[in-house]
Amino acid sequence: MKKQALSIVYMFLITLFFASLISAVKFLNEAKIETNQIVKLQRIILKVLDIPVQEAISNENLTRLFTAQIKDIQIGKKTLYIGYEEDRRTIRGYAVPVGGPGFWGPIEGMVGITPDAKKVLGLAFYKHNETPGLGGRITEDWFSDQFKGLPLYPIEGGQNIFFLTPEGTQKRANELDAITGATNTSSAVEVFLNQELDFFLREFWGSIEEKE
Amino acid sequence: MPNRPGKKDIFLTGLWKDNPVLRQILGICSTLAVTNLMVNTLVMNAGLIFTVCMSSLTVSLLKNYTPMRIRMMVQTLIIASYVIIVDILIRAYMPDISEALGPYVALIITNCIIMGRCESFARHNPPVASLLDGLGMSLGYSLVLITIAFIREPLGFGTLLGFRILPEGFVQWTIMIMAPGAFFTLGFLVWIFKYFQPRNEGKETK
Repeated sequence: MKKQALSIVYMFLITLFFASLISAVKFLNEAKIETNQIVKLQRIILKVLDIPVQEAISNENLTRLFTAQIKDIQIGKKTLYIGYEEDRRTIRGYAVPVGGPGFWGPIEGMVGITPDAKKVLGLAFYKHNETPGLGGRITEDWFSDQFKGLPLYPIEGGQNIFFLTPEGTQKRANELDAITGATNTSSAVEVFLNQELDFFLREFWGSIEEKE
Repeated sequence: MPNRPGKKDIFLTGLWKDNPVLRQILGICSTLAVTNLMVNTLVMNAGLIFTVCMSSLTVSLLKNYTPMRIRMMVQTLIIASYVIIVDILIRAYMPDISEALGPYVALIITNCIIMGRCESFARHNPPVASLLDGLGMSLGYSLVLITIAFIREPLGFGTLLGFRILPEGFVQWTIMIMAPGAFFTLGFLVWIFKYFQPRNEGKETK
């Protein structure tokens, strides 16, 4: 009986010690982790709005650029970002969060759309659990840059805004390169991104104009 | 107990003779998962070296106080704590790599090498020896991972540490990026390793 009590006390003490240690490390680094995430999102938004950013820009300058040219608006539960030109008046485009189920887990990204909602300005994925080196390549520039200039229109009767097909087999302009060796990720992206773009055109487009 | 091995022997056992990956075939999951890019491999190695050394050291320091029946709970707690610390630090200071590695950093917790060393070595041996044993084992693991990444990244991507080393026209071997490529490479290395190991080693103990 005494042995058991000792075990419990010992386990309690050692848990207390390590839990405190982790809390301390977490507490000391929390601000930095949070800044990393905010800066990453800001970088993504600037990227999909095709606003040029220097490669080696510091976090502070990036945030300054962001606050100068980007305004966020709330529509329903979603936060949309309005990007302005350098004069801070003319609208350059909208950054819209998109997301859906990938092959291994949810994928989240951001799409830049021109002010008239006719074309894609840019695309970037920033959160996913796809296989590194395979499905994980959705974050690479060659993949996301293909979407620049993609014409947008509401989907009708089984059509798609875009298709992802094997490299070198494209026949039409809205057929883009899928990722070799990551067919499942590619088809997942094709499905949810088409839906999300269509949803934006049908549901959001009107409400943005009202809000402005 | 037969004459205790010297410190140098303890260190070298893990590094070469009893190499955790090639000889004990432990830690295979992470070996297969992160070795398609050298950068990921190096960060993974650093994380594992830290965790193995610290866990072995801590388990050894606590060996006289830990009640026998709850020792595995204690070991798991110690290992998990160090891994969470590594994960927090990578997320704070290397956000890009943290994303590339995804869940694999947290999965260091389940790497058999760590608990294996705590159970079979650290809990019967003094702290310094345990630390050296952990260092040898984790460096042995790292050496194998680096070798595999050195084969997989150039063949799979044509690059090494992100720099292009094979000509632009090189046809990338997609299979090297995927898990099967890792299995082939690892199997090949185990074969070579076995070939160079003294063959009569096992018979002596009979």
